[in-house]
Amino acid sequence: MEALSAKNIVKRFPNVLANDNVSLSIEKGEIFAIVGENGAGKSTLMKIIYGLYLPDSGEIYVNGEKANIKHSRDAINLKIGMVHQEFMLIPRFTVTENIVLGDEPRKFGFVFDYKQAVKEVEELSNRFALVVDPTEKVENLPVGIQQRVEILKILRRGAEILIFDEPTAVLTPEETEELFKTLRKLKEANKTIIFISHKLSEVMEIADRIAVMRRGRVQGIVKKTETNEKELAKMMVGRDVVLEIQKVKTELGEVVFKVEDLTVKNQRGVVALKDCIFDVRAGEIVAIAGVEGNGQAELVNAILGFLRPVKGTITINGNEMKFITPYDIRRKGLAYITEDRKRRGLILQYRARENIILGNHTLYPFSNKGILNDNAIDEYTTRKLEEFDIRPREAYMKAQNFSGGNQQKIILARELSSEHKFLLASQPTRGLDVGATEFVYKWLIEEKKKGIGILLISLELSEVMGLADRILVLYKGEIVGVTTPEETNEEELGLMMLGLKRKVAQ
Amino acid sequence: MKEVLYRIFVKRQEKYWWMNILVPVVSIFIALIVGAVFIASTGRNPFLAYKYLFGSSGLIPGPYFKSHFSEMLIASSMFIATGLAFAIPARAGLFSIGAEGQFIVGTITAAFFGYYKPLANLPTIIHLPIVLLMVIIAGGLWGLIAGYLKAKKGINETIVTIMLNWIAFHLIEGWLVTGPMKADVATGVSGTPYVSPTAKLPIILSGTRLNISILIMLFLVYAVWFLLYRTVFGYELRAMGYTAITNMEAPKIGGVNTEKRIMQIMFISGAIAALGGSFITLGVLFQYPPVFEGGYGFDGIAVALIGGNEPFGILLSGILIGALRTGATSVQLVKIPKTFPAIIEGLIVVFIALHELIRYLLVKAITKKKEGVSA
Repeated sequence: MEALSAKNIVKRFPNVLANDNVSLSIEKGEIFAIVGENGAGKSTLMKIIYGLYLPDSGEIYVNGEKANIKHSRDAINLKIGMVHQEFMLIPRFTVTENIVLGDEPRKFGFVFDYKQAVKEVEELSNRFALVVDPTEKVENLPVGIQQRVEILKILRRGAEILIFDEPTAVLTPEETEELFKTLRKLKEANKTIIFISHKLSEVMEIADRIAVMRRGRVQGIVKKTETNEKELAKMMVGRDVVLEIQKVKTELGEVVFKVEDLTVKNQRGVVALKDCIFDVRAGEIVAIAGVEGNGQAELVNAILGFLRPVKGTITINGNEMKFITPYDIRRKGLAYITEDRKRRGLILQYRARENIILGNHTLYPFSNKGILNDNAIDEYTTRKLEEFDIRPREAYMKAQNFSGGNQQKIILARELSSEHKFLLASQPTRGLDVGATEFVYKWLIEEKKKGIGILLISLELSEVMGLADRILVLYKGEIVGVTTPEETNEEELGLMMLGLKRKVAQ
Repeated sequence: MKEVLYRIFVKRQEKYWWMNILVPVVSIFIALIVGAVFIASTGRNPFLAYKYLFGSSGLIPGPYFKSHFSEMLIASSMFIATGLAFAIPARAGLFSIGAEGQFIVGTITAAFFGYYKPLANLPTIIHLPIVLLMVIIAGGLWGLIAGYLKAKKGINETIVTIMLNWIAFHLIEGWLVTGPMKADVATGVSGTPYVSPTAKLPIILSGTRLNISILIMLFLVYAVWFLLYRTVFGYELRAMGYTAITNMEAPKIGGVNTEKRIMQIMFISGAIAALGGSFITLGVLFQYPPVFEGGYGFDGIAVALIGGNEPFGILLSGILIGALRTGATSVQLVKIPKTFPAIIEGLIVVFIALHELIRYLLVKAITKKKEGVSA
């Protein structure tokens, strides 16, 4: 039976056709995945189904009947629920309060019956085997459990069709596994699941059928059993994609980056990094693996000067970084690629041309005696847009209007063009699609060939195994493993990341 | 020239960029209509009121146009100064409302160096620049206090500037004007002594009070525009403003010394406000009076808001507010209180604050029309 279908959906935004005659049909009780690059139109389509956008033309049918969805209220009434990428939870409220918000059980018509609510949540969580503590505050829960609360919230509204918008983007590998178990249980309960992602391995694991979108069009709908990752990647990007990383051997040079006995407290005054010792040599990629929140952010902040170490030293190119402020770092020969493009990497309201010179804007030819040289900036930007294949090639477009992959390319173009011997790459492929990820890998390897020392912080084991010359595993702020890709495998790394195994040279 | 125009109009990449001009104009228009409703509701004739208001505002030629025109420009130059003083920090994400205090610091500094005997015999060409330079230093330092506390200690600049306004006010009116700077009783002057004629701003339109203050402000408007859009300083300043909510992390990583910039910005802002204050002393009153009717600093916030924090926008909105104030006295002829233009000013600010709504309605109206044509 058909649970949901979209017919000839067209949605046009200024400058872009987000959905170009999209038609889909989703069966009841299946897990239907939609994959595509950033900006392919997946999220737009889901927002149309959930009533957040109105389509320019086209129709949606729910359970075979034409649905008139003008508002997310209408979608909820049709038993459609959506788990957003950013959770819509109130951190200070308990799990129960969050789940019943907007539809609270009442006594005498106006008193909030908290006990009854807790009971309902318990019953709901038992029915779908989604374990939560109903009285715990949401702010104390890990992201994976928060997502579970979000799922319970829409189940309580009686959702039959559940839309997951890139649910794994914020999860650790273990949490992702848990989510997949949940999805399978929901499938057993005959719920229909729409799963949006750009991670092909996940889609191949969980989905029954897969729709591939590219540039607003559906490229094809395939059964999982009849396809493979390579084929999907090709449909998604429109050409063959090299997913395996080519190993490159380079001569190791002098030490370009070194930390000794580094101990850092985070903003809350808790020791987040303890006695870390390691170095990075020219032409080497050192990867830091670990589950998020085990001291990576503090390490980055200490290197950049946002946090002052309690103990220990950081040395870049032989200069010890003492009492350093973030703006001084730029002059010490450091380039920085960040996962937090919107906050740290780009000034969103600035145009591409203004972002691409940030950090070098005080240098000739971009400015002379404090006055900007527009022609030089334009000429340089045009050249870099070409070199780094940033699309669209619009030097005057605001950074916020570029897709995630192209935003990252702008950052790459800027950072890799500046004078540096050491590159700090903090989750450089987070949230990127296959095409952009391949691009980032290519440039990291180029850098390595040029003899740049790279410190790669990553949550993706495949990335760590593929790129690194040496791997350090960070667990609770300590380096618990020092190894190389040849000496280890993903399972062993996984154990070390969870603190179950140590492997440190004495 | 062609290239500049191309850059301004074609390369903007914003679909409805001209909305930035149309929205304030429409807001002002709506405010005038609502103002007319107010007048009509009290049984008076709104058309007559507007005829008197604008007739004597200096914007429209009419009787006594020359004097109205010069009075309008004198007032406008002060509003432009305080408008710029608000807008510059605002563009960097700093909410400074210290223009009021900086303004009167400028007024009193100009008075002191204007009557200070050792300088009084110098020719205008030397005396006046010295006075203005001192005004810039004094106002800048007064602004720098808030900048220093913000940059080095992270203290909220809004609260500090409010406090500094009161400190300036009481230091000047409670102590300087009635104490060390009081005029000799024998001269029969209350307030500070009058400034030496060599410190007065030269008149540029004979038969009126119109002086070079408006020329100074025209130059400053251009200078601030140049600073914002053509210099490294302005590039970093705007980057800070766009990222103020995220603690300016992106500019810091991009090598911007935000602490230094915050202090420089607050100095410049204070200096410009003080310059506006000095025009009172050097062009209108020629002394610091015992009781000073201020408010220019706070009006500057409205001016900056109406002008969209853009230098040339502030030039226009400063002239508008100056014109409303100049025409204010005449509306009394039709039995409307002279505070009525302040109501209009308030209404304009309200509708400017609703600019998103007005923009939305305008865009909707225009796109509908276009669709109608194509259909």
